[in-house]
Amino acid sequence: MKFFRICLIFALVFSALPVFGHGGREAEIVDGTYPPGTMLLYGYGQPQYWLQFFTNYLEDNPNVGPGVRIQMVQTEGEADARQKAQMSFTAGAYSEMPDAVQTSPVSMQVMAEGGMLEDLTDFIRPMQDLFIPGTFDQVTYKGRIYGLPESLRPQLLFYNLDLFQEYGVDPEMMDTVEGYIEAGRLLKERSDGEVYLSYVDPGSFTWRYYGRRGFMPQANAKIWDDDGNVVIDTDQGARRAFETIATLMEEELLLEVNMFSPPLYEATRNGKIATYYMGAFWDEFMRANLQDMSGSWRAMPAPVYCDIGLRGAPVIGLYSITKKPGSVYGELYKEIWTDYHFNPESRKRWTDRMADQNAPYFVPITLEMLDDPYWRESSSFYGGQSFREMEIIGLSGSAENMRVTKDDAEADMLISAELELYIAGDQTMEQAISNMGKVLRLQIGSTDPK
Amino acid sequence: MANQFANTVARIKKYWSCYVFIAPFFLLFFVFQFFPILWSFWLSFRKWNGLGPAEFVGLQNYIHLLTDRMFLNALGNTAIYWASGILIMIPIALVIAGLLNYRMLFGRNFYKTITFLPYITATVAVGLIFGIMFDYNSGLINQIIARFGGDPLRWLNSTKYSKIPVISLFIWRLTPWFTMILYTGLLNIPLELYEAATIDGANILQKFRKITVPSLSHILLFCFITVSVESWKIFSEPYILTRGGPGSSSLSIFQYLYVNGFTIFKLGYASAIGYVLTFILFAVSAMQFRLMNKWVKN
Amino acid sequence: MKSRKPNIIHFNFASISVHSTLMLVSLIAIFPVFWMVLTSLKPPGESFSTISSMFTRNPTISNYLSVSNLVPIYRNFFNSVFVSFFGTIATVFFCSLAGFSFAKFDFPGRNALFMVLLATMIIPPEASVIPVFIIMRNLGWINNLLSLIVPRAATAVGIFYMRQYINDFPDELMEQARIDGCNNFKIYWRILIPVIIPAISAWASLALVNRWNDFFWPLIFMRSREMFTLMVSISLLPVSEGLSTPWPVIMAGSSIAVLPLVIMYIVLSRFHLRELTSGAVKG
Repeated sequence: MKFFRICLIFALVFSALPVFGHGGREAEIVDGTYPPGTMLLYGYGQPQYWLQFFTNYLEDNPNVGPGVRIQMVQTEGEADARQKAQMSFTAGAYSEMPDAVQTSPVSMQVMAEGGMLEDLTDFIRPMQDLFIPGTFDQVTYKGRIYGLPESLRPQLLFYNLDLFQEYGVDPEMMDTVEGYIEAGRLLKERSDGEVYLSYVDPGSFTWRYYGRRGFMPQANAKIWDDDGNVVIDTDQGARRAFETIATLMEEELLLEVNMFSPPLYEATRNGKIATYYMGAFWDEFMRANLQDMSGSWRAMPAPVYCDIGLRGAPVIGLYSITKKPGSVYGELYKEIWTDYHFNPESRKRWTDRMADQNAPYFVPITLEMLDDPYWRESSSFYGGQSFREMEIIGLSGSAENMRVTKDDAEADMLISAELELYIAGDQTMEQAISNMGKVLRLQIGSTDPK
Repeated sequence: MANQFANTVARIKKYWSCYVFIAPFFLLFFVFQFFPILWSFWLSFRKWNGLGPAEFVGLQNYIHLLTDRMFLNALGNTAIYWASGILIMIPIALVIAGLLNYRMLFGRNFYKTITFLPYITATVAVGLIFGIMFDYNSGLINQIIARFGGDPLRWLNSTKYSKIPVISLFIWRLTPWFTMILYTGLLNIPLELYEAATIDGANILQKFRKITVPSLSHILLFCFITVSVESWKIFSEPYILTRGGPGSSSLSIFQYLYVNGFTIFKLGYASAIGYVLTFILFAVSAMQFRLMNKWVKN
Repeated sequence: MKSRKPNIIHFNFASISVHSTLMLVSLIAIFPVFWMVLTSLKPPGESFSTISSMFTRNPTISNYLSVSNLVPIYRNFFNSVFVSFFGTIATVFFCSLAGFSFAKFDFPGRNALFMVLLATMIIPPEASVIPVFIIMRNLGWINNLLSLIVPRAATAVGIFYMRQYINDFPDELMEQARIDGCNNFKIYWRILIPVIIPAISAWASLALVNRWNDFFWPLIFMRSREMFTLMVSISLLPVSEGLSTPWPVIMAGSSIAVLPLVIMYIVLSRFHLRELTSGAVKG
């Protein structure tokens, strides 16, 4: 009889639990006070630190939301965050839907097109001029703004000053791409091949960091033309970017090793890697994994092609507000976001806390806050050089990001596969470029350039 | 006819409890799998990015698969993973199970625990360690090769070798599973059978062929089917070690499905890949059943 | 049946080769795990990717403390234990019961139903996540541990395995029991279970490990850090984009995820062996 009792329990559990449809909260904001409840955020990377700004704000302003709890859901990455938010939206599971979701320009466009994001144009317009120029370019889709940037990080070049001094190479020459390559040659020659200019990842990171965010925008390269046709194999800029990579590869200036992996740090520690190119994010990685090299490294703005003069394309960090029925916390997100960008006191307090925890933080993107000398304080890891200031300097003269279309996630995958085959030694760069064109035409055809 | 029908009804009545015993599975299947399967089938004829309406495209997704180089590569790679599962993993598992069952084994409990260890560890965690071991410059494997005077190999960075780390991790982690299954099977073979064979003068190989394998045939069939399912659905090993690269030289079908579904959001296309994968698994399993039946009869 | 416990140690060729092969296998099996644990004890910043730098002079547990600062580790641990424990019990019970039915009774439609079952084993459920999510949502099981336990309470693989194993169970014992007036469930509970203990404990340990290591489903169904299982929390340490968690900390996290199972398995395997031999003697 035991068996039937067990069956009965299971049957009961099954039939009793289904609950169809959750009603949305109908609460409202009264005199600037938010109703009790949970604000749900989806983030990736290290979102728990971003969350701290929010909890600080609620503590400092006890009248804003005495009963509001903020929950940050850690997702695997940009695609995972989008997939979860999208799934909740499509399933009508609004109670599990985030109030704001961290995203990238490509996904933001798709979600905006799918009608799940709030149009923030009217909210942003009055304060747009207070931000550094170009801040909202990447969050604008079909003329409307759908994202709230938290950061805009430049491309920086990190170099091991000790190595440059040991071999008598002037880091200043790396101001141009041509000089950067030349520095690599000198280091290699003078160290008998011990020192590599940098690393090369056998996987998709090479396209992402050297291609899409690096040499491509610096060389004014295009994947698509203005009508959405594939031009990657005919565009002069693209050819130039790929040839730069080919030069670095064929002269064996790059050490083949996986990015972010212990062997890379190992090689760095052993003085085999002279520079980290590029992305400001290397700052956190180096401080976390190469603490013992404190004082050896410096940062400088990314190099330019001497006839073009553009530095790497800045990377935007952003959250989008979703259209979550019945929820008022999107408004709260905007309120705290505004405080983050315009209240120097709370911003500095948060930054100090982050610095204490060795956690990532970003320099401001509002013009007024940037004037504060606080953002020019020296950094001990960089031997007294101010990394914060370097981030600010790095933003000037940066290239525009490449055009982002709804098909770019797929295009990245296809382009990267061909580039990887080049790095693996299975095809020449010439073949790789022509294959990129072929496979993009076959798999995607043409895209909507909007 | 009516008689036969009545007979069946009588038997159903007689065996009613059997239906109750198997009901939980079919109930769960119906609730959690049946509708999703139909839904994917419907979706595989459509183009959908997960938001908004899905557009009907007929057989286009399936036709497109035939010319998709990445998919065809993934198909070939996965077939290799499958072959290595059948040809390397099962034999290794059988040997280890046999060794563990050795009558004069001292410290059986210790060996059993240790050899099962790889299965306990999460692929995500060990994948990272394997990545370090197979590194070109400072990895352990290349250090060993260098010690014996060989040239280091570009395990993770070349299209030629990138499948080897994936297969190594796959075999390392999953062999214990099959060892365990086969070992429990071996326990059921009466030792007297072997002793009688020894008296008749049979050597180890003969004993293995005439006693061990036939007695294990039910369990072996189970192993072959599951190893097929596991290897055609292989995902985390290439995902963690090589991300499927360089190019698509270590990409698996399921990984490609995942990329299409969750990274570039071509959900209709991903469903079509899922159906092709299911079809392949059907064919492979049916083939194994037939071969196995024939073989057991002989 | 004779006992499989050796009385004396033999030093012949066969014995030596068996023992040395097993030792080699054990070495290969344990090495990566061992390395992982060693790495987790290193202070961040020390190198560890080469074999010569495996050991550290300054072992530290600070990496473990860092992990507990990054994730709600106790709550996650509880979730994992809860899901693994109940998931395993449910799966062993329902799979052996259904396996028994498929193996020993010739009920109408048996073969057809079994083929259906095998077919379902082949369909990757991960391929249709969205409808499964919608169903879970309608059941109200999103962010609820039930969604990790119930759907796989009876799995096709488990039933298949149990059927294959129970096939060899002697029919005479069943006849005997039936004459004594046992119904089918009683036969299962009183007669079959004690005899198939080896298979049950094998399947239980496999299922347990599987549940513990499950990553895909908890990531889909659980929507808050507090409801994540240990494996999900730990897996998010290294894979997140832009995450700069130092490697020793990642390894500490991995060790936290792996070691409880290892310890539990070692503890259980003592008990386990006794059961195995007693089962074999009865059979």
